[in-house]
Amino acid sequence: MSEQNINVALDRDHRSLSLENEKVAMEVKDWNLYYGSKQALKGINMIVPENRVTAFIGPSGCGKSTLLRCFNRMNDLIDIVRVEGQMTLHGDDVYAKEMNVASLRRRVGMVFQKPNPFPKSIYENVAYGLRLQGISDKNVLDETVEWALKGAGLWDEVKDRLNENALGMSGGQQQRLCIARAIAIKPEVLLLDEPTSALDPISTLAIEELIFELKKEFTILIVTHNMQQAARVSDYTAFMYMGELIEYTDTDSLFTNPQVKRTEDYITGRYG
Amino acid sequence: MKDWFRKGEHWIWFSASTVSISMVLVFGLLGMIAYKGLIHFWPHEVYHVEVLHADGQKEIVVGELHDSKTKEVEDPTAENGHREMAQYLFKVGNRDVYGIDFRWINADEIVGGINELEQDVLVIERYEYGNVYGHIQSVSVDGQTISDKKQALKILQQQVEKGSRLHSEIRHIEKISIGEINYKIEGLRLEEKKLRANNAFDAQEEARLQAERSALQEEFDVQHASVQLLYKQADSLGQVTVEIAGGKQLVVPVKKIVHFWQPNNMTFAQEVGFFFNAVGNFLVDDPREANTEGGVFPAIVGTVTMVMLMAVFVTPMGVIAAIYMSEYAKEGTVLKMVRISINNLAGVPSIVFGIFGLGFFVYIMGSSIDELFYSYALPSPTFGSPGLLWASLTMALLTLPVVIVSTQEGLSRIPRALREGGLALGATKSETIMRIILPMTMPAIMTGLILAIARAAGEVAPLMLVGVVKLAPELPLDTIAPFVHLDRKFMHLGFHIYDVGFQSPNVEASQPLVYATSLLLVLVILSLNFGAITIRNKLREKYKSLDN
Repeated sequence: MSEQNINVALDRDHRSLSLENEKVAMEVKDWNLYYGSKQALKGINMIVPENRVTAFIGPSGCGKSTLLRCFNRMNDLIDIVRVEGQMTLHGDDVYAKEMNVASLRRRVGMVFQKPNPFPKSIYENVAYGLRLQGISDKNVLDETVEWALKGAGLWDEVKDRLNENALGMSGGQQQRLCIARAIAIKPEVLLLDEPTSALDPISTLAIEELIFELKKEFTILIVTHNMQQAARVSDYTAFMYMGELIEYTDTDSLFTNPQVKRTEDYITGRYG
Repeated sequence: MKDWFRKGEHWIWFSASTVSISMVLVFGLLGMIAYKGLIHFWPHEVYHVEVLHADGQKEIVVGELHDSKTKEVEDPTAENGHREMAQYLFKVGNRDVYGIDFRWINADEIVGGINELEQDVLVIERYEYGNVYGHIQSVSVDGQTISDKKQALKILQQQVEKGSRLHSEIRHIEKISIGEINYKIEGLRLEEKKLRANNAFDAQEEARLQAERSALQEEFDVQHASVQLLYKQADSLGQVTVEIAGGKQLVVPVKKIVHFWQPNNMTFAQEVGFFFNAVGNFLVDDPREANTEGGVFPAIVGTVTMVMLMAVFVTPMGVIAAIYMSEYAKEGTVLKMVRISINNLAGVPSIVFGIFGLGFFVYIMGSSIDELFYSYALPSPTFGSPGLLWASLTMALLTLPVVIVSTQEGLSRIPRALREGGLALGATKSETIMRIILPMTMPAIMTGLILAIARAAGEVAPLMLVGVVKLAPELPLDTIAPFVHLDRKFMHLGFHIYDVGFQSPNVEASQPLVYATSLLLVLVILSLNFGAITIRNKLREKYKSLDN
């Protein structure tokens, strides 16, 4: 499938976008992150617009995944990580002392690079987040599982084998299951960390179409290695380099008319 | 040839031969134990041997041939002054007459070889004094004496069947019904002591206890009377007269007979039947005659119960410790020291654990429990003496390192992505561990448990200090609540082997039992492990696709 066809399929239209006119879902101010003594993120300032897809691109090691993992405090798991600055989610301070990390992660869902379904049934995978919240009403669970699987475009493929082990699915199906699992708890923001890098082209297309559908309900942040993918699925794109946010604007402008030389070098393939 | 070495073929051959030697040794060991153990249950043929003693006395020996060996004897006619002579071990039985069950006979003294079978010989197994070997003369029942041999055997068969029915009925009443009444009476005695200790023993309580006691006493009298009746019936089963080697008449009351057979007149099918019957009896009977005869049922129950309890204790302890160490504790010198200590703990000799169990569990914890909860029963100890609970706990301690280490290995093999997946959905760390990580670690935990069972079931030395006895009056499991009696002493197959083999007055008789019990111990351990392995494989199947 050519890029043009994908564009038609996604029915995208970025032309009238501008960050100033967007509602703010998340905001990052003077954000620094250190691994021990090594600084990995330097003075990042950005807003994440609501119900839009924001892509992070940049060469390996530029800090885009690290930044993404700041939004749901996944970096807390690493002992040596220290952060500075301010980050808000709909006005709430993400790193405030009184912020409950578990409930933050319910508001900011995440899908990882490699599909990581739990070794349980398909149904239980999707219902997992709900059960954690103490929901055990069979009707509510059934409804939400169906809604989430439909939302992840997986319902028709698995509706007859919901009780089969999720590990028996294909890689693309597993990744869509992880998306269903993430959206089942209805987060405000969905973080996608290179969600298609371990998948074949057809599964990749399915996920890209899915992202386009999902932005109606969720704010989406996606890290990708693949510039074409960023161009296809995102409304806004941030280019990062060596821990700094070099350029951040609507996707069309960034790819057609980059303002910074480094961005241009990167997207034209001079390095990266 | 140079090529051959360069390819490393010699290493392959070396490894292969080492593996083969190990296999031969393992199967040789199992084969020998199995053969020596199982041959014990096969009906031995009874030989007829004429012996001429040095003093010119002639003697007829009738018995089963059990063993032979050669001995060097002085012989001036031989080339270098001595020669080898065969000696044969015969089981002659009739211990009440001869005083011994087994005797060695020199080949030199045997006239005409040992290939003659005793015709129509009857072997009778008794509850006391072992076997009788002889010829049936007559059976007398109710004053009638039957001398026709065929008829006598038939009647004897009927009477012995009746006898074993009566025997099991008596045993049932004595062990189960009267045992339960005794247990309750003992409970009342302790209750009275308890009430007295609390100064709550008033006239009302006394009357109540007295009433309960007399009710139990009445029940006891009923049961006792019925047992007495059964004993009387057993007495009236009659007796059999047997002529043993040397022409002596031996009278055996039927109530003393376990069973009888004619080994030299058996068909092959009968022999097979006899074999399986004997194996079955070995498994389900209580031991008799200082453990040298009868079965090993209490030892099987004791071993299995102890191992099961050990598993119940060691699994949570080991898993919780492993989770703390690999999920919560901070990496550092302290954790390193703890890891080293745990690994070294696995190398501590088991007897040291036994001493620790005796000193800490029995003397310190046991007597504290007695003082706190069972002070009314003192000075007789409840938990303050070796017993099932302390033995299982000691074994749990002994096998703890194995479980910890394999659980830790299992935990470290769970991919990071899965932990993050759980956390990203809003689970706390403990929720992720309980719901995702722990279920996936189950195969590794089971592996640890398998190793623990293998080690615990085969251990004898520490058990001798903390609860195993030669002969336990009661099983640790029974039908009286609370069903598992943690304070009771118990029997164990491993100790049984030691006891029968080395502490028994009747060495020759017990030797085959040692092999049979060893075989059984190996089989018990194998089946316990097989159960655990089956569970593990099922779990592995569930998480199979995670490995890649």
